Amino acid sequence: MRLLAIVLLAALVIAPSLAAKDAEPIYKHVEAKHFTRVEGVELSPAFTDYLYAELRNELAKTKMFTQVIGEGEAVEDADAPNSLVIEGVITEYKKGNRAADAIIGYGVGARSLKIDANVTRRSDHQNMEAIKVHVKVSPRWNEQVMAKAAAHQIANEVKKGLKEKAKG
Amino acid sequence: MAQWGVTETKMGSHRGVLVRAGFLLICALNASNVCADEPKSTPENTIHVQLAAPVPPQKFPKAPKFFISEVIDRSGNPQPMLVLRAKGGVFLDRQPTQITREAVEQSLKAADLLAADAASADLVLQIYVFHFGLAQGSGLDYFGKVEFSVMVKNLKTEESQQIQAAGTCIANAAVRKKNIQKNVQANIEGALEDAVRNLVRGTQLREAVASLLKGNASAPVAAPGNGMAFEHGDGSGSKNFKSESQTR
Repeated sequence: MRLLAIVLLAALVIAPSLAAKDAEPIYKHVEAKHFTRVEGVELSPAFTDYLYAELRNELAKTKMFTQVIGEGEAVEDADAPNSLVIEGVITEYKKGNRAADAIIGYGVGARSLKIDANVTRRSDHQNMEAIKVHVKVSPRWNEQVMAKAAAHQIANEVKKGLKEKAKG
Repeated sequence: MAQWGVTETKMGSHRGVLVRAGFLLICALNASNVCADEPKSTPENTIHVQLAAPVPPQKFPKAPKFFISEVIDRSGNPQPMLVLRAKGGVFLDRQPTQITREAVEQSLKAADLLAADAASADLVLQIYVFHFGLAQGSGLDYFGKVEFSVMVKNLKTEESQQIQAAGTCIANAAVRKKNIQKNVQANIEGALEDAVRNLVRGTQLREAVASLLKGNASAPVAAPGNGMAFEHGDGSGSKNFKSESQTR
């Protein structure tokens, strides 16, 4: 009985530390760039800035990278093979319809944003992952909330893809 | 009939006086409200923003010496020290230009890249601050943004290049005034650190240094007084001033 208790306690102590090991950074640096937009996408310039900031914030939360660096920052040559760059394009933005959202609901009249992002390795520009994100939010919320949702989704996709790649 | 007309006129004038008095009262109340909403700087709502630690700059093949000639506010903000208007306001204790200068100098000095004066410097930096403080966020958080551009000038060759640096930081919103100040301070400090890192570790600075110091070895030593050429009281320096892109 005592032995069983000890084993259980040991399992409780060891399990969290084993789980924490999974969260160790795999890559040294990741550089998020300001996303560009195709012609016809009517979003304020502040949106791109906020998306960039929020993406960096969300990438830091994934704990896959030792450091999330800003756009245009230099990386040591030795670290380049272990560093990634995220670039993206906002391909579509629909303003949504407040009336339709209020009367019908269920996603009708929602604001919609589509983003294509690419994750490449810094040293040889090899494509590591291609991400397509489609975000829908209520038209009552401002653009920044949409950027927050998009950044969260991109960071999750990046994390998922890189983890799968690391597993082989 | 005439008497009735007089009474009507009198009543009309009474009504006019009442309307005017009411209008004046509303105006006075609004004015007092505006005055009450305008936050004032006090020691309690003032924050001190500075870098927690100097940002280590990138390694240059031949370490140049920089000197910051001046830092100019180009934000167009009439109250640059007021960073948050709500809840009694949050103020900076110094001008954003001064904070920026101190942050960049601190980082350059730590890496021994700061010259004592312009004459002994290889490159002179002129910083234009475009944004310092909070920017429009989602409403669920504070979005700190520091943005400036730097004119890197080689006084010996009179060549210059402009580079951009920007830093952002997102911090959680707060309800209590004390926490708001703490979060805003951490947020602006984070954005400032990010912007300084973007500058001193940026590829733009590396390229600017490489191209501006390329001709230094072959260029003749500057004539006396040329080293201080940037300090033109009459503004003649700006007339002779040519950026590299203009030269091209």
